[in-house]
Amino acid sequence: MSVFTDKFSATLPPPTRRSERWKYSPIAKLLKNDISISEEAAQGINGWPESVLPNPVINLEVYIAVFKNGIFEETLSDLPNSEGIECIPFSKLEKSEDLEFSNIYSKKEWIGELNERYRQDGLYLKVHRNVKVDRPIIIHHLTDGTGVASFPKHFIRVEEGADLNIVVWSSASDDSSGMYNGILEASLGPNSLLSLEKVCNEGGKVFHFSHEHIVQERDSRLKMHTFTIKGDWVRNELEIISRGKGTDSVFNGAYLPVGTEHIDNHTTMDHTVSDGTSTELYRGIMYGNSTGVFNGKVFVRKDAQRTNAFQQNTNIVADRGASINAKPELEIYADDVKCAHGCTVGQFDLDALFYLKSRGIDEKAAKALLVEAFLADVLSSVSCKELSDEIMRLYTERHEW
Amino acid sequence: MLKINNLCAKVGDIEILKGLTLEVKPGELHAIMGPNGSGKSTLAAVLAGRDSFEVTSGSVNFDGIDLLELETSDRAREGVFLAFQYPIEIPGVSNLNFMKAALNAKRAHKGLEPIKAKDFLAKVKDCSSLVELDGRLRDRSVNEGFSGGEKKRNEIFQMAMLEPKLAILDETDSGLDIDALRVVSKGVNAMRSPDRSFIVITHYQRLLDHIIPDFVHVLSDGCIVKSGGKELALELEEKGYDWLKESSHDIPNI
Repeated sequence: MSVFTDKFSATLPPPTRRSERWKYSPIAKLLKNDISISEEAAQGINGWPESVLPNPVINLEVYIAVFKNGIFEETLSDLPNSEGIECIPFSKLEKSEDLEFSNIYSKKEWIGELNERYRQDGLYLKVHRNVKVDRPIIIHHLTDGTGVASFPKHFIRVEEGADLNIVVWSSASDDSSGMYNGILEASLGPNSLLSLEKVCNEGGKVFHFSHEHIVQERDSRLKMHTFTIKGDWVRNELEIISRGKGTDSVFNGAYLPVGTEHIDNHTTMDHTVSDGTSTELYRGIMYGNSTGVFNGKVFVRKDAQRTNAFQQNTNIVADRGASINAKPELEIYADDVKCAHGCTVGQFDLDALFYLKSRGIDEKAAKALLVEAFLADVLSSVSCKELSDEIMRLYTERHEW
Repeated sequence: MLKINNLCAKVGDIEILKGLTLEVKPGELHAIMGPNGSGKSTLAAVLAGRDSFEVTSGSVNFDGIDLLELETSDRAREGVFLAFQYPIEIPGVSNLNFMKAALNAKRAHKGLEPIKAKDFLAKVKDCSSLVELDGRLRDRSVNEGFSGGEKKRNEIFQMAMLEPKLAILDETDSGLDIDALRVVSKGVNAMRSPDRSFIVITHYQRLLDHIIPDFVHVLSDGCIVKSGGKELALELEEKGYDWLKESSHDIPNI
């Protein structure tokens, strides 16, 4: 069943360039594709390409939930099974009473409605009060095939005082095409901690849409990273709502597209109550003829006094054909707040480059040193070193530094 | 070691070096003095290979090699070192990683293996104590948050690490207090050897009380207008540069 020709697919129209949110990420090209949902049943290890490791961070001991073309692969997965953690795919879930899906996204965006309409599976994950999950949990999505779509939706609840580290990793084999449309909803109970790393390392030609909707209650802490290593067309949407006093939200990201890749990061931080802190740092280097978008909204509502919000987006346009449209947006309605934002688009620092070269380091190695330094601030806050090392390794391998 | 012959260079449409000729033999230390805008820093930048300057004529021969044909990094590997007038801050690149990369680039050029971690650290220790560079500064990002004096000491530390054949010090004394000047000079003096040459560019005679030059040259309007021994510096200190400008046409370049 082709997703775009199915007349029941969505009631909302696909976004056009007339909409500000989609102006720099037109999807006309996507709509020309014939994309359908894979109807094959899970095939376990036999249907999994050898070139892709089920656990993409080989040095890291993890729990893992594997999805291929949106379908849960039980034989390749290893879910936690201890007291205080409920971790199970929806397809195997019996109860459904406390699913607090917000569903707003499906009502306001065509992409969201498509996910609602075609949703396949996803992880139901609940960490009980004061429980710390002993290893990171990796949710690994693989797109494999021609014109395949996956529509996962994950639900995460971290209860009061609990502590969870999730990695959402998406990959695609090199000859794949299609669409990934994934939603993740997380709610953080009082004083809880969620570390969430999102890594996109997709070969082939996949349109990647992901949307995270995160609600934070009193004193909860979010540490989030969005890394785009490889992806033909990627849009990451992140929405964080601070709903309790004293929350802390750190969300960083990095992107280094090459060729004609397109990368879009839309973030929204909504401070609705007082004493919250948010720190956002996105860094990008645009190579070749790549195009990019950064849009970072910060809302500080009337009651959100003593909010401390910091946003920084720094871009290097490395080649003449590359471009990025960057736009910070702050809306502040409270009067006792500290908000700072900075957004820059520039080139490699020629003085720094000359300085390094004047010591005998060649141009390529000098640029690699500068890039490593540029990314260090984003990578250094990743929850575990094995993961940040692997991400750096993948960037290094891809860019041949 | 270094033969500069009739060198002309411009930036944009402005000619800065207008036929500069200078020979530096192994082990010699040449001081180049001159008023602001005379082309001192341009000379340093052209020798190091900064591409914002265009060499329009003349030649630079370094140990038998046409220096102007080499990339900046290759010049450094061949043994040219420039101590910057304004060292660059590079946030996120650690001073030590930087030095290790530079040292190993130079070693690879000579066909040597990368330096062993233990040897590297021993070398770092020796070279940093030479200029009394705090361990804390060694480990930080390159020049980031360093004071003016610390930056200059870091330049000499790097020079000691890389052991160049020819070191060009571009106003290394500017902005230094007497104590820092003494430390920097001590580092430079310790590095002097029969097979290492120096070009010391300075605006102030004060430096030459600490670093004794073999030759002093006066650069004015893009060429050397007077050369002499160390006593020339004292004369300049006393009389300024104006007397030279007036009579510059009478004095041939050496």
